[in-house]
Amino acid sequence: MCVGLSAKVVSVKDGTALIDANGAKREVSADLLEELEPGDYVMVHAGVAIAKITESDEDEANDVMENLL
Amino acid sequence: MNEQAKKARDIITNYKGRPLRIMEVCGTHTHEIFRLGLRKLLPENVELISGPGCPVCVTPVGFIDEAIWLALEKGCIITTFGDLIRVPGTEMPLAGARAKGAQVRPVYSPLDAVEMARQNPDEQIVFLAVGFETTTPSACLAVETAKKEGLKNFSLLTANKTMPNAYNALEGSADAFLYPGHVNAIAGTEICEELKKRGVSGVVAGFTASELLTALAVILVNAEKGEPFFVNCYPRVVKAEGNPSARELVKRVMEPCDTEWRGLGVIPMSGMKLRDEFAEFDARKKFGMPKITGKPNPACRCGEVLQGKCKPSDCKVFGKVCTPEHPVGACMVSDEGACAAYYQYGGV
Repeated sequence: MCVGLSAKVVSVKDGTALIDANGAKREVSADLLEELEPGDYVMVHAGVAIAKITESDEDEANDVMENLL
Repeated sequence: MNEQAKKARDIITNYKGRPLRIMEVCGTHTHEIFRLGLRKLLPENVELISGPGCPVCVTPVGFIDEAIWLALEKGCIITTFGDLIRVPGTEMPLAGARAKGAQVRPVYSPLDAVEMARQNPDEQIVFLAVGFETTTPSACLAVETAKKEGLKNFSLLTANKTMPNAYNALEGSADAFLYPGHVNAIAGTEICEELKKRGVSGVVAGFTASELLTALAVILVNAEKGEPFFVNCYPRVVKAEGNPSARELVKRVMEPCDTEWRGLGVIPMSGMKLRDEFAEFDARKKFGMPKITGKPNPACRCGEVLQGKCKPSDCKVFGKVCTPEHPVGACMVSDEGACAAYYQYGGV
């Protein structure tokens, strides 16, 4: 039940976002994120977009490792 | 594999520091680490133990009994995340109650349960609200939506939990925590900084191969320094401030309460219940539920597994009486459960 779903925002209207997760489309609540726009990537949990995703996991790992070493 | 991922892998495989116990708080971490084969990279002196971060696994037996009472005695339609359906209650799981006439419907989101209430005005729809900081906002959003629309046939059976007091209960269980990334996406990282001040180390981790490799490498490098540490290894999703809108929503609708965790007992103020102004959406109050106390199967060691005190394979019913097809304990039911992971991936 706890699996987050990363998805691309297709459209946003009246607090609801249409998202595309690897081709599967679904409406989710956009009430908990401000300034959500088509093209943004979000983490979706139980039908609610909970966070914007700001970079790829590889770029992120590179940043973290560069700070570590 | 890119260069940084290779460096992370080399740090892990070449670690020769003091013995370390690392607790994966989140059940999805447990499964992804197994699935990606990362355990095979670990040297002998690094042990991964599973923690209590699977909401289904920490939900006590009595909660299932309460849901069955609502379904069979009050005729409510129970809506729930699918993995709760096979969690054993004292006498039967919700799946067994179906055979006695209970209506139990899996949903993806509490908002889907609200939609079911809209479409079935003559039925009472109850959503089983389990989960941590990540999931609780969606249940609160469902209640606010139902209140706004004046729906009289929707309510929650709550067992929502919060992590900070659980960390207190787990203090000393591990040398470092892999904090659950999506809890921190809501809660922010302040709690992790506080824990660091109290000498508790950990990193917030994501869920992909490169994120998990990085997170484990960061733990090992910092552990060798010998000082308490906290590093956010999942900054593309987890911001220091978390999601303030989600926290404000939860604060409007729910308030902290004592709650029972399977295996850990009652942890003061580690649960969330609906505020009095939302009492009409509290299934226990709405249907006058009596006090129901569950009795777990004494052979099941899920409680000790959840605290890292034993491995699933140490339990005498694991893989014999208790399998994913016929689970005895909750940890064998959910895809996020430690026992299910050990069973699926052979306990490597």
